[in-house]
Amino acid sequence: MTADIRTLEAGLELGRPVARVPAWLTLPVGVGAAIILVWVLVALTISWWAPYGPLATVGTRLTGPSWNHLAGTDALGRDVFTRTLYGTRSSLPIAGIVIAVAVVIGCVIGAVAGLFGGWVDSFLMRISDITLAFPPILLAMTVTASLGPGLRNALFAMVVVWWPVYARLLRAQVISVKQQDHVTAATAMGAGRMRLLVRHILPLSMTPILVNATMDFGQVVLLAASLSFIGLGALPPSPEWGSMISEGSVRFYEWWIAAAPGLAILTVVLGFNFLGDGVRDFLDPRTRRR
Amino acid sequence: MHSGYEFGGPQMKNVKKSRWLIALFALAAVAMLAVACGGDDDSGGSTSAGNDKPLVIARDMDINSMDPSRAYCDTCQIYLSATYDTLIGLDPKDNKTFIPRVAEKWEGNADRTQYTFHLNKKANFADGTALTATDVKWSFERLANVKGSAAYFMDGITSIDIPDPQTVIIKLAASDSSFLAKVNATYAGIINSKVAAANGATNGKDADTTDKAEAWFLKNSAGGGPYTLANYTEGAEIRLARNDKYWGDKPALKEVIIKQVKDAVTQRQQLETGDADIAMQLDPDTAKKVNNKSVTIKEVPSFNFVYIALSPGAKDNKIDLNSNIREAVRAALDYDGIIQVTLGGGGKKQAAAIPNGFLGTKNLPLPKRDLVKAKQLLKDGGQPNGFEIDAIYPNVNVYGVDFNTMMQKIQSDLAEVGIKLKLQPVEFTVWVAKIRGDGIPFTAVYFAPDHTDPIQYVQYFGMVPGSPWSARAGGKATPLINQAEVDLSAKALAANSDEEREKLYESIGKEMIKDAIHLPIVNPNLELAYRSNIDGMHYSACCNLEVARLKRK
Amino acid sequence: MGTYVLRRVLMMPVLLLGLVTVAFIVSRTVPADPLSTVVSERQLSNPVVVHAAEKRWGLDKPLPAQYVIYVRNLLRGDMGTSFRTKQNVRQDLEDRLPVTVELTLASMAIAVTVGLVLGILAAVRRNSWVDHVARLFALFGSSLPVFWTGLFLLYIFYARLGWFPGPGRLDPRAVGPDKVTGMYTVDSLLAGDLGTFWDALQHIALPSFVLGWAVMGIISRLVRASLLEVLNQDYVRTARAKGLTERSVIITHALRNALIPVLTIIGISFAVLITGAVLTESIFSWPGIGSYAVDSSRALDFPAIMGVSILGGVIFLVTNLVTDMTYVLVDPRIRLS
Repeated sequence: MTADIRTLEAGLELGRPVARVPAWLTLPVGVGAAIILVWVLVALTISWWAPYGPLATVGTRLTGPSWNHLAGTDALGRDVFTRTLYGTRSSLPIAGIVIAVAVVIGCVIGAVAGLFGGWVDSFLMRISDITLAFPPILLAMTVTASLGPGLRNALFAMVVVWWPVYARLLRAQVISVKQQDHVTAATAMGAGRMRLLVRHILPLSMTPILVNATMDFGQVVLLAASLSFIGLGALPPSPEWGSMISEGSVRFYEWWIAAAPGLAILTVVLGFNFLGDGVRDFLDPRTRRR
Repeated sequence: MHSGYEFGGPQMKNVKKSRWLIALFALAAVAMLAVACGGDDDSGGSTSAGNDKPLVIARDMDINSMDPSRAYCDTCQIYLSATYDTLIGLDPKDNKTFIPRVAEKWEGNADRTQYTFHLNKKANFADGTALTATDVKWSFERLANVKGSAAYFMDGITSIDIPDPQTVIIKLAASDSSFLAKVNATYAGIINSKVAAANGATNGKDADTTDKAEAWFLKNSAGGGPYTLANYTEGAEIRLARNDKYWGDKPALKEVIIKQVKDAVTQRQQLETGDADIAMQLDPDTAKKVNNKSVTIKEVPSFNFVYIALSPGAKDNKIDLNSNIREAVRAALDYDGIIQVTLGGGGKKQAAAIPNGFLGTKNLPLPKRDLVKAKQLLKDGGQPNGFEIDAIYPNVNVYGVDFNTMMQKIQSDLAEVGIKLKLQPVEFTVWVAKIRGDGIPFTAVYFAPDHTDPIQYVQYFGMVPGSPWSARAGGKATPLINQAEVDLSAKALAANSDEEREKLYESIGKEMIKDAIHLPIVNPNLELAYRSNIDGMHYSACCNLEVARLKRK
Repeated sequence: MGTYVLRRVLMMPVLLLGLVTVAFIVSRTVPADPLSTVVSERQLSNPVVVHAAEKRWGLDKPLPAQYVIYVRNLLRGDMGTSFRTKQNVRQDLEDRLPVTVELTLASMAIAVTVGLVLGILAAVRRNSWVDHVARLFALFGSSLPVFWTGLFLLYIFYARLGWFPGPGRLDPRAVGPDKVTGMYTVDSLLAGDLGTFWDALQHIALPSFVLGWAVMGIISRLVRASLLEVLNQDYVRTARAKGLTERSVIITHALRNALIPVLTIIGISFAVLITGAVLTESIFSWPGIGSYAVDSSRALDFPAIMGVSILGGVIFLVTNLVTDMTYVLVDPRIRLS
């Protein structure tokens, strides 16, 4: 904690106006949060103000960007800009759900492995090793192939890909916390495993998990788009960025079909990366603004 | 202890000290640019090299085997027609007339149960040895006995007699007017039996288990065609070298390379830059937009088609897909609109599951959109308000038709009469499992011919015993049978003249329309896209592309 | 340490067997038809052809028997024949691995060089515009879908501007160098063929940039972070106090120590790229492991899927082990248990 005070002092010495903004609100965090906020607002309100329907044929097919169609039209004469905006409605919830479920499952497994140790630990960690050893796309492909196409199954596939990350993270936390003095003391005083977890371990583990989740959010958006790109994600005709790029990739001389969803992915992922990067910089004593 | 200003503050003003870093960065950037711009070795343009310069064909390859007796794919046809000679050839001018190849002449008997081929004495293999009747017999027997996908070409052969090295007499169990078309197919190419046998191949009855030559064929060809295999790298290229011992007309080009290039956009890029001389799978939309003097684009009719299939007998079907309902679907589709959306208009409507250009298809009635009729038919079929159904189809892009795009258009067409499609694109292997298993009530697929005879469409699509679709449409236990088709096709197989066959196949076509199981959506045009200095570009019904006919001007 | 490593190494076969088992179960319970890869869909209702194919590809036996046969053959070093390529899977992997390794090495070279420079610049000129631009550039790379970047770079720099050559590993008409390592850039140099080397180098530039850019961000951020930490250590201060120039302080004292954590992330990125280059490979027509993995899963080519899984598993486990060991070697405070 002392380091924080020193940071402030150091800032003051240099005459930087540190005190006016909270320390965690760095430029990247601000930019990232703003981008994501805009996209969330779009997702929530798009149906009220979108100029066209996402599935409606509204213009001559394959025309370039114009005032009527800011990002042109696709092969079926639909408005690419409208479809791109509607795409947030699948990408953001997917990423949110995948991360949430992966965090919960991963944390439970990681906690069990860390707390119980022994063969339980070895067994669970070997399973997570095996899962991690599979190339993610290959794993997701087999899962979607067996369950059929569609977002729900792609979602399941991504959870399968992602849980080991959090399992390992929480297990590492548990083991390091278990060795700390006050926890050893608590155990000696007869605190149960559950109590240990809730009282001592979870609070300490929340920050690294949150940081990781923020960073991963963008990566999940990318993986979801990749799955849709190879035809394993969203079902037509629903607007989804990956499948829109896939449609655009077979007509790349009509570059606008792929351009808009690509830029959408870029901004969302960039937003989360900024956010995650900024938060990590703040929390990581090594990189904190000194 | 880590107070920030120690490094963050005053020292930072010393900008000069970090200049070397900027220099390093600049160096890296320059190095990358140098890689980009420099060393532009001029590979295109110069015509002095002419036919000695390798010809590059850009194509998304679908090779399943390089072994002529086991191969079965569009790219295989190109490869095999270049490296193996067939008994008879096909005139590329009309894609109908058979022309002499290894057989200088041939005849069939009156009821089409026996065919005799007289081989050219000059015919030889790439290793210089003579091609004789023994090799023909051996190759045909091997094709039948390895039991690959093209083995059925040899179905019905009761005996192959070789009275002398230049004569082959083939007797059939039943009349088969399509036999010449099968012999013309590339899979019936003649293999150098000695060379192949020395490398593990056999023509024995048990060849399906004892023949071990498939891997050898990946690196070698053993035929007498105008080219030989120089190199095959799976997923990358097939490299063909001119067979200098070829006994027929010497091919002009010294080397031909078929390159794996996945999509139409990249194929177009390579064609326009000259990296490729021929792009084989441009879709009409992409091709139309090529505006480049050194590239020629010619749109020709193809024999491929894309269709919807309705199977009332599929196991998990909940909707009574009676013939009224099936006709309603046919009448509700906006064919011109679909062809516009998928191919930019570069395709034709097709009447029955026999593609335009085949015998007997000239006068068949083309489908038309009629929403009033469609609604009436729905009422007659007992579904006045329409219904909801899953459309399970392979997630593919073939002949320029992107199935997802097509199905989205079909979905919106059918919605106008109250039929709600739920689109379920699946991997091809998954689709096959479903169609082989319980069947699929509503699906969309594609078809390309195996040979030049229309009988293949009856055998595959017809409601005749043993046809895959008769069991799929009616259900495994209760296959649909249309007796008229059974009788007409038996007559057609025994018919001796093309006039007679044309009439019979027209009647079969009308019966197939009446079945209303297959609703052809489009017969896509084919884009011949090539550098303007290439001569002899064509589309062949037997072989896709006969590379031996190509040359540089 | 020694026993720990030994235990990890001994654990590997067990893990691989687990991997094989999972891969086997998952790929065989998929409701898809592997026969459609070896038999044309048109002939799948032909019992003669189907029966012959089932027998030849070992699909006629019950699943447990197939599993036992596979594992037994595997122990003998036989990975079976691919349904799709009709070649021995080991041969397939041997053909394709160098392609991916070459692409990965080139990507890592770009990512490390640029990432290092950006990271150093960002640390030295912390919170200046240089830092921000470096951060932005690095983050852009990891925020773009590689398939999108690949398509656009090809469109702009190949189709439109003609600055870079198109897809593939060499000029379409060129013949590859004699195989030594299977990596064209290396083999052409070994053969002393500078023309081919230049050709290969030009072809690898775009795809490796696309991949490299994607991991550049992690490296530059890590370099920045660890450099900042090191620059505040006593020994660096001592060095400064001795009156050394800032340049030599950074090069001889700070950077060497700051690079250690970077090494581990390089190892991890390498493992990720080897199997993660799936889409880049197919967009740039590179016949590597990634596109092999996708094509095999699409075709439900069991032997190939198993082969790729095993290869991926080995690479993952080995890099993991090496990474963990590097940690120990670097930081004696960490104990392995």
